[in-house]
Amino acid sequence: MRAVAIIGAGSTPFGKLEGRGIVELAVSACRDALAESRAPREKIQAFYLGNFVGERLASQGALAGLVANRLGLTGIPATKVEGACASGGIALRHGVLGIALGLYDFVLVAGVEKMTSSPTAEVTAALATAGDEEGEMRTGLTFPGAFAIITREHMARYGTTREQIGLVSVKNHGLGASNPKAQFRKPVTLDEVLSSRLIADPLRLFDCPPISDGAAAVVLCPAEWARDFHPKPVRVLGSGHATGPATLWEMDDITSFPATVRASREAYGMARLSPGDVRVAEVHDCFTMAEIIATEDLGFFPKGKGGPAVEKGETGPDGQVAVNPSGGLIAKGHPVGATGCAQVYELVKQLRGEAANQVRDVEIALAHNLGGTGVVSTVTILGRM
Amino acid sequence: MSKVITLQAFFEEARAGRLTGIRCGRCGELAIPPKEFCPACQERAWEPLPLDGRGTIASFTVIRVPPRGRAAEAPYAVAVVRLDEGVSLLGRIVDIPLDALKVGLPVRFRPLVRDNQTVVGFGPTV
Ligand SMILES: [Zn+2]
Repeated sequence: MRAVAIIGAGSTPFGKLEGRGIVELAVSACRDALAESRAPREKIQAFYLGNFVGERLASQGALAGLVANRLGLTGIPATKVEGACASGGIALRHGVLGIALGLYDFVLVAGVEKMTSSPTAEVTAALATAGDEEGEMRTGLTFPGAFAIITREHMARYGTTREQIGLVSVKNHGLGASNPKAQFRKPVTLDEVLSSRLIADPLRLFDCPPISDGAAAVVLCPAEWARDFHPKPVRVLGSGHATGPATLWEMDDITSFPATVRASREAYGMARLSPGDVRVAEVHDCFTMAEIIATEDLGFFPKGKGGPAVEKGETGPDGQVAVNPSGGLIAKGHPVGATGCAQVYELVKQLRGEAANQVRDVEIALAHNLGGTGVVSTVTILGRM
Repeated sequence: MSKVITLQAFFEEARAGRLTGIRCGRCGELAIPPKEFCPACQERAWEPLPLDGRGTIASFTVIRVPPRGRAAEAPYAVAVVRLDEGVSLLGRIVDIPLDALKVGLPVRFRPLVRDNQTVVGFGPTV
């Protein structure tokens, strides 16, 4: 397999982007990514676009073809990829495979979502389609509800405290405050988190991500040519993609996502690296507890030790592994289909030394994207070259 | 035998008040439909197994921000229930005050019908 590199990355800000439609958002991120790389647009041979709820919330299907046309890429194969909130990560995976296997030399990958034009109840219902409708969601379960059930179990089993969980939100809001791409630009205190409105007990408003619009994109090519197209290319060292149980009642242990464990094993194996090598990670903190579980499933901390690690600052910018220096989904925002690509955008900036909250001495970075309550996950390991 | 492994049949039985699991005829693995193949041994040799419907709450939440169409029902509780037979099932809590809910609370299966769809519910044991 050929080594793959990222030679351009672009992103819109995340937030309530009024007056900008779903196609325009995707086009904007792609244009920025293409402009960064010196690869002429006509070299792009394939386009993969991650999107989850565009048909339902933006009434727009055939999205990949529409965006390719608008970019002047008419003629190339354009594919929309859907895997709930992991759609962007899966799109990237397909772009990487296309180049690694020698099918293409230049691929454009993006993710996009337009959510803020819809009422909250409609967004909640649309996101709930990532669950097993017949087997579980019909009870009235929501995504915050599912993660609330998981949170309670993690607290009961490992003694994880409400304060430790709230500190994830404090950390991520603090970092989001200094990321110009973030939706929330204001720090919050632990008191504010713990007294915010209950959404699904024990999860409160500040345990959840906002409803967001946004898009992110990257340009890929074989690593051996990468320096011709960008002065600071980023190498894709490992890529993992795996599935897991779709419902809570099918999981042997609801405090761990087998899809994350499997995807990370694949990515670490391909990169010949271990969790201890990772200096910075953008993980899927769709809820505060999801970040704690991710840091355990990815092997940064032993099972049950993710809560104390937050409390000790091990996941802060100067900790053992800097987790979500962008502010994460909770503060930067979570335009669901865009998230997987946006995580990689942030890590490309970290590896180039250009990030808003730059972590020191970054050689190895990891992106973790999760769909549903763990039905699918992707893990991408990136390195400087 | 093929009847019980479809979700439709599972809910038809549930609507009549009968909770039905499936047991693998080859390795004995117990599951709740729908499963085409045994996750433990990959065989497709399911036998229906009536479940008693009694269990305890393993974890739960109270939904305060409901999805579209359920505003009138909120707040309501949803729980993962560990059935006495050893399998888990997710269901809507009915007729138990929200402030009485706790992990380990004994509950019993009861069907709920909403918009002509059957939903798994759990209520008090007596
Ligand atoms: Zn079996």
